[in-house]
Amino acid sequence: MTPLLTINNVKLTIDGRPILRGVNLIVNEGEIHAVLGPNGAGKSTLASLIMGINDLRAPDSGEIIFRDKLVNGLEITERAKLGITLAWQEPARFEGITVEEYLKLSGRNNPELDVVECLNLVGLDCSYLNRFVDDTLSGGERKRVELASVLAMRPKLAVLDEPDSGIDFASMEDIANMIKTMRDRGTTVLMITHREEIAEIADRATLMCDGKVVQTGNPKEVGQKFKTMCVKCEVRNPELVGGE
Amino acid sequence: MATKNVLDTVAKKFVQIGLPEDLFKKNRFNLLVDRNKVIVRYPAPGVRSEVVETPTGVKTKVYVEPGTKLEEPVTLCFGAAETTEVQTTEGEIVVGEGADVKFQVYGAMAEGIKLKHKNKLKVRVEKNARFEFLDLHYNGEETFVELETETDAYVGENAYFRSVFKQTRGRAGKVRIVLKATVDKKGVAVFETKMIGKRDDEIYVEDVIHLNGEESRGISKSRIIAVDETKATFVGETYGNAPKCRGHIDCSEVIRGKDVTVKAVPVVVVNDETAKVTHEAAIGSIDKKQLETLMARGLTEDEAVDVIVQGMLR
Repeated sequence: MTPLLTINNVKLTIDGRPILRGVNLIVNEGEIHAVLGPNGAGKSTLASLIMGINDLRAPDSGEIIFRDKLVNGLEITERAKLGITLAWQEPARFEGITVEEYLKLSGRNNPELDVVECLNLVGLDCSYLNRFVDDTLSGGERKRVELASVLAMRPKLAVLDEPDSGIDFASMEDIANMIKTMRDRGTTVLMITHREEIAEIADRATLMCDGKVVQTGNPKEVGQKFKTMCVKCEVRNPELVGGE
Repeated sequence: MATKNVLDTVAKKFVQIGLPEDLFKKNRFNLLVDRNKVIVRYPAPGVRSEVVETPTGVKTKVYVEPGTKLEEPVTLCFGAAETTEVQTTEGEIVVGEGADVKFQVYGAMAEGIKLKHKNKLKVRVEKNARFEFLDLHYNGEETFVELETETDAYVGENAYFRSVFKQTRGRAGKVRIVLKATVDKKGVAVFETKMIGKRDDEIYVEDVIHLNGEESRGISKSRIIAVDETKATFVGETYGNAPKCRGHIDCSEVIRGKDVTVKAVPVVVVNDETAKVTHEAAIGSIDKKQLETLMARGLTEDEAVDVIVQGMLR
């Protein structure tokens, strides 16, 4: 297994509150790696640090290494050009930009781009091409378009922040299949979630809690630990339940 | 009417600032005016018009016969290929009962010219008619126009009037746009203004909609991108004067540059307990999440800003 992304003893404090307390994580090339954890565990902050968004260009200490290159301090565009992208939990909406234009922008460096196929893989048909990526799409539709744009880009690493949120239960299988297709086409997936059902499609999983990695390994075992340990923990420690 | 040589010269200058070449190649114009000279005039079916050249511009009267329905837009262009002190255009458009037409109007001010352009337009959209007036302005980057334009519209019972003013290329200059509409029973008025100001441009847009008829509707929407030292003001006034009328003002202004001054003034007045008028206004820099999303797909910050701005001005 070749490490694609290495998170090395990453620590981050925001407004005096420690959010990440020495996170170590390796994502291997070609795998789907789920990061599970309760609200407030630091999962989304970790995703932001990997992409460099929300003014989080570098941790206070520690390293984020992508294909042997230190990405600490790099701009978002530079990270994207290395092959990293991110799908937001609540994607941005764009006035006056059609789905087709958005997918073509996302896939402008993908010589095999097929926008219709990207839509089909997320359960949408070609009638969406002329729709605007704005408030006229429902939350679930917008989410699917976001995932289609990641497929269009075909990055080396896709960080998917809660890909299952806003998706109805009946459509979860579509999303799970789409994530597998992403992997089969050469994109390594780091999937942030707090639902062990979706984490089960992963090749490996990591459980985070309170800014630290608790366990990495088989998704079923990690999911089981999440279910038995963290849910009780949330009840015992309500202060841990909050925004990330 | 002008010779082919004159038309070719005008075409060259207007295409240079972004007018589609096809308009000239396929002879699309129903009326083309350069300063105060009529260059092209070609009738559209069901549309009667009078055009008079004046010392500084033209006066037009257009009457769309009742029931006229046109697939293709009536295409007009009022422009200036050379500098002139002032250009004045005055127009009156009556859209007859049950007609359904679209006017595509190009304002073209050639590269490097300077002028004052004054425009007054009266519009009357009769019962059950539908009229769209799409006013697209093309200026050169080194053009400077002082534009004053005033539109006063009456929208009849169950009629629909949409007026779009767009200036998304070149310099805006010093612009004052006033759009007024009085809307009758079940009528609809939609005003949209989309502009970009650069350097020390000054933009003033005022939309005034009086919803006087029962169940009438009015939408006033503006998108202004202010760059460098631009000063921009949007005033949106909607008066809900009749039972069950509905109005909405939607104003979004984006600032790019520390010397920009931008103001939005929504005025909402309701004079009937069953009327409802709402407004939303947003002024600020480019949305950070939009920017970061496009950058995460590999666009540079400048490319991402351009995509977002062009989308807003669409």
